[in-house]
Amino acid sequence: MTYKIGLLIDDKRYEAIKDLPFASQLKAMFGGEVRILEIEVDEETAKRILQAFPSARVDARGYLEDLPVAFKRALFEAVVKTRSIGKEAFEEVFKNLDTIVELARKEKEYVPPP
Amino acid sequence: MPVIEPHGGRLVYNVVEDLDKARSYWEIPTRLEIKPTLGPDGAPIRNPYREIMSIAYGFFSPLEGFMPWNEVESVVRERRLLSGWLFPFPIIFDVAEEELKASGAKPGDDLLLTLKGRPFAVLKVEEVYKLPDRRELADAVFGTPERNGEVVKKRFDEKHPGWLIYRSLKPLAVAGKVSVVNPPKFRDPYVRFWLPPAASRRLIEAKGWKIVVAHQTRNVPHVGHEMLMKRAMFVAGGDRPGDAVLVNAIIGAKRPGDYVDEAILEGHEALNTAGYFHHNRHVVTMTLWDMRYGNPLESLLHGVIRQNMGATHHMFGRDHAATGDYYDPYATQYLWTRGLPSYGIDAPPHEVDKGLRIKPVNMGEFAYCPKCGEYTYLGMSYGDVKEAPLCGHPPERISGSFLRGLIIEGLRPPKVVMRPEVYDVIVKWWRVYGYPFVTDKYLKVKEETLEVEL
Repeated sequence: MTYKIGLLIDDKRYEAIKDLPFASQLKAMFGGEVRILEIEVDEETAKRILQAFPSARVDARGYLEDLPVAFKRALFEAVVKTRSIGKEAFEEVFKNLDTIVELARKEKEYVPPP
Repeated sequence: MPVIEPHGGRLVYNVVEDLDKARSYWEIPTRLEIKPTLGPDGAPIRNPYREIMSIAYGFFSPLEGFMPWNEVESVVRERRLLSGWLFPFPIIFDVAEEELKASGAKPGDDLLLTLKGRPFAVLKVEEVYKLPDRRELADAVFGTPERNGEVVKKRFDEKHPGWLIYRSLKPLAVAGKVSVVNPPKFRDPYVRFWLPPAASRRLIEAKGWKIVVAHQTRNVPHVGHEMLMKRAMFVAGGDRPGDAVLVNAIIGAKRPGDYVDEAILEGHEALNTAGYFHHNRHVVTMTLWDMRYGNPLESLLHGVIRQNMGATHHMFGRDHAATGDYYDPYATQYLWTRGLPSYGIDAPPHEVDKGLRIKPVNMGEFAYCPKCGEYTYLGMSYGDVKEAPLCGHPPERISGSFLRGLIIEGLRPPKVVMRPEVYDVIVKWWRVYGYPFVTDKYLKVKEETLEVEL
């Protein structure tokens, strides 16, 4: 089974990916008020992510949700670095998984309000 | 038109308000401090004081106290009290052996229960009993895929917060009628939402509401919830201006990741104060209860609570009061349309003898259609019938998890997803707790302060 991760794309993030091939695949949601970069996740990768982050879960749409902000940031940075939304991006993230898990642990208690 | 009768025919009100009489109980020498139930990591997952409040103020009518063992057996066998009235969960006052020994309590005694060291309630001890293996008890409460295959899809485990509560009970239990002998004062903001059944019924009468649709919530409302509440009034046959929505939030320990209680209450209130609901046809209230996340069973408790509060109808949506994928997402609708024979309920709860009078409004989901520029109804999935949008375009579901992801990244949700006034409430409480959702730290702070002071 294939799952998905939806990365939210604000203007700053858009600037970083606008020239990459998958920029045209950005999905507009809710009448264009939200832009999402959909990344497919195979079963093995999904299992690894779910194991690393106990709060994460698969929602009714098959999306991996409740992922730590640190993981999503790292994934976006990996997407930019590898210029890919495929396995290469996840491999890049998994190189620093321990650090991300540590950051996520702190994030469980405090995230600065907007 | 009289307000709907309470479950069991009589509203319980075991609250001693006369100060002199109340004080006479405060001197009872046999006393026991109420302690929270702790999860495996030491985080508080329940405080029995909430059950005492809900019993004494009549939310759980006709239940008058903590159940003796034969009533626990009756409830897990056929979801009925010894009086025969439907009731979904065993309500157990559990104690450790050494605590009971230190209190000296025995059958026939009045046991003074203290909360944070202050007199709070009296339990008239009828029975002291040993609980069986708590794992087996928890399975008996919630069901198993083997025994309850019509709605249970996966075996319950420690990740299920309600199962964990029963699994974590102490080994002994004390049964008997409870009375609050020191009515507590609610802290802000809870005080604005405390409307126990007798008061709620007075409000319904004073407003002249004929159709009152209850909405269960453990969530800050997004616009999909608002659609459900508003459309449920149409389904219930609301006769404006004689109809209303009674929002009843469950307040207590919740699973990490849920919204904090204060934001849930004030978020719903914001729909009212900002005018998305007319203030004369919408009221936000609360019930103290540490959620068991029991989907169909929880819906039965919700029916009991809201009928006692005077609601004529109860809206039930997809995945009602659920977490994870233990139950079928439409298990509650199954109960309210067919009954749950494997739990001893052979017909819908409002169609059985000594059942409920409140009527269900079973609803599927709403999703936003960007093409229509409005919400579209998806309906429900039953067996081979799958939900399908009312319009011919691909709609966008509002997933609670997606919304939480948006919020935690510091982004303001689109107006079509969440009213800005509701989002502002989330940020207000985020500033207080340093996090917009329940954390172990929040649960500990909440356990220290509770919702009340004595």
